[in-house]
Amino acid sequence: MVVPKEICDRFSELEIIQKSLSEVDYFSCLYERYEARLMRYIKRLALVTDTEAEDILQESFISIWKNLHAFDQSLKLSSWIYRIVHNQALSAFRKKKSYGKDNKVAWDDSLNANLPDDTTLTDAGEMQNIDLSLHEVLEQLPLPYKEVLMLKFLENMGYEEISDVLKIPEGTVATRINRAKKAFKHLAEAQHISFEH
Amino acid sequence: MKGSEKLIEIIRQQDIQPAPKWQFSMKNGLAWAGFLAAVVLGAMAFSVILFAIQQTDFNLVSHLSHSRLEMFLGLLPFIWIVFLIAALAIAFYSIQFSKKGYKFTAAKLVGFSALLSILLGTLFFIGGGGHQLEHAFAVNVDLYESIQQKKTKLWSMPKDGYLSGQIEAVNPDFFVLKDFNNKSWKIHYDSAFIAPVVRLEEGETVKLIGKMESIDEFTAKEIRPWGGRGNRMRGN
Repeated sequence: MVVPKEICDRFSELEIIQKSLSEVDYFSCLYERYEARLMRYIKRLALVTDTEAEDILQESFISIWKNLHAFDQSLKLSSWIYRIVHNQALSAFRKKKSYGKDNKVAWDDSLNANLPDDTTLTDAGEMQNIDLSLHEVLEQLPLPYKEVLMLKFLENMGYEEISDVLKIPEGTVATRINRAKKAFKHLAEAQHISFEH
Repeated sequence: MKGSEKLIEIIRQQDIQPAPKWQFSMKNGLAWAGFLAAVVLGAMAFSVILFAIQQTDFNLVSHLSHSRLEMFLGLLPFIWIVFLIAALAIAFYSIQFSKKGYKFTAAKLVGFSALLSILLGTLFFIGGGGHQLEHAFAVNVDLYESIQQKKTKLWSMPKDGYLSGQIEAVNPDFFVLKDFNNKSWKIHYDSAFIAPVVRLEEGETVKLIGKMESIDEFTAKEIRPWGGRGNRMRGN
């Protein structure tokens, strides 16, 4: 049985984990706390439909449940959860790609509200007219670039969190973000797409 | 049905349990054990490399012809260098499986493992471990030709001007040298350069560069210590 939101809200994430270990129902609190943003993340990353994204999320949370004792408390729980979801989503993406299915994503407008904030592309006030172009450019980037840009600018993560999600050193994260931003800009310019107004 | 309800139902229906903590601790422990074992193996390889370097007289490179140079380079312990590289690779690979292994760049991980192996290996070498390990390898592995064997081979070519062995008797004009094939030579040394550490006395093991005069006579141009752990020991 799912624990009501009012009760879930009383506990911190670590308390939820502790409670889940003795009463599995509390695990639903964690799912509900992360569901919306992880669904959005999966759809962006793996280019899947809502239903497929839900399946990936379910599988990810079963994996999180199985590996609950592996959680290292020196990490942020969100980084650890994103790591598992990220891997699950990529695995689904690769599977889908290998079967040659369509690579279109279910795009939602909320994506545009959360755009880069530390480049020339980034002033939120200038971003209101940005549409699917952002997504189109992002999709043309190699995966290592796409994933860091998504985590940094769409999920608003810091370098350390990205390092923990992708399991790469922080220095590599910084380098990759720089290169990804350049590649993004280059692609956008080549296609005469402007994000500045 | 809400996603969270579906999740809890699956977990309950399939009775899925979190894996026990010890499994993850063991995985982390194994990663570190693998790393440490590889560092120790690397250290042992490095100590033998140091031993080989100690046994190689680099001053003599200029004296050597091309074919001799090849033989000289053969003294370099390539197999141990390969061992060291393999150990570093294993150390790097193992640490990836530890909880925090991903925090470090490949360069840092390899550098750190190499540094540890070099420090431990140097201590091992100073303690004589490099020589003993190399000797044990030579005794127990049929295909392995020891550094001493290679060195003895290089310095047992009187026709090419290389001779080595133990001094049996010393006279003012010559000394008698028994080579590593137990053959006695009369060595003329009046115009030879004698390395300061060489003591021309019975029991000293030396290597000579010079010219073979006859089947049992040799004129030395240079007399050098055999090298390694004590010149007064037989060189193999």
